[in-house]
Amino acid sequence: MELGDKAAGCLLLLFSTTLFAYYTFWVIITPFVDSDHFVHSYFPAREYAIIIPGIALVALVSFVLVFVGFVMVRSSQAKAKSKPKTN
Amino acid sequence: MKQVWKIGSIFTAVVVAWISLLLAKDLPPSVQLIVPYIPMFAIMSLGCYGLGALGYGMMVFRVCPEEEILLQKDIAEAKAFFKERGVDMSAD
Repeated sequence: MELGDKAAGCLLLLFSTTLFAYYTFWVIITPFVDSDHFVHSYFPAREYAIIIPGIALVALVSFVLVFVGFVMVRSSQAKAKSKPKTN
Repeated sequence: MKQVWKIGSIFTAVVVAWISLLLAKDLPPSVQLIVPYIPMFAIMSLGCYGLGALGYGMMVFRVCPEEEILLQKDIAEAKAFFKERGVDMSAD
């Protein structure tokens, strides 16, 4: 059980480090590299460095809010069903 | 409420610094390419740091085998105690 947790934690740590390194290289280092260097082929156009995290952030916040709203509606429906006598 | 003012003032100062960097005229062109991406870079760094700290915490979390043995002993003891006093311990 704890081996699965340790493995998942290690994977998460490596993933976040790789993501951070790639993003840093993309945003900060590519402007300093000559435009005909081969390294530029590993990165998409720099505008996507704003578009992709922006969409991901919006999707995450929307998911959280939709989930909270869904739980609130379901709990108020359950409450309305268990108290029909007061109407 | 004082914390809100403090955080708000720090945030406003950072935003003003960023906007002044955006409007600065005599920066080298590569630096001028980087400045618009600073806020998103900050958000990404925060997210990556959070994920990394989570993963690291998962890796070094103690599983406490001695306490688990003691806990199981306590549970068995409590079950025996309640059983001889006639309390129903079946999970329902």
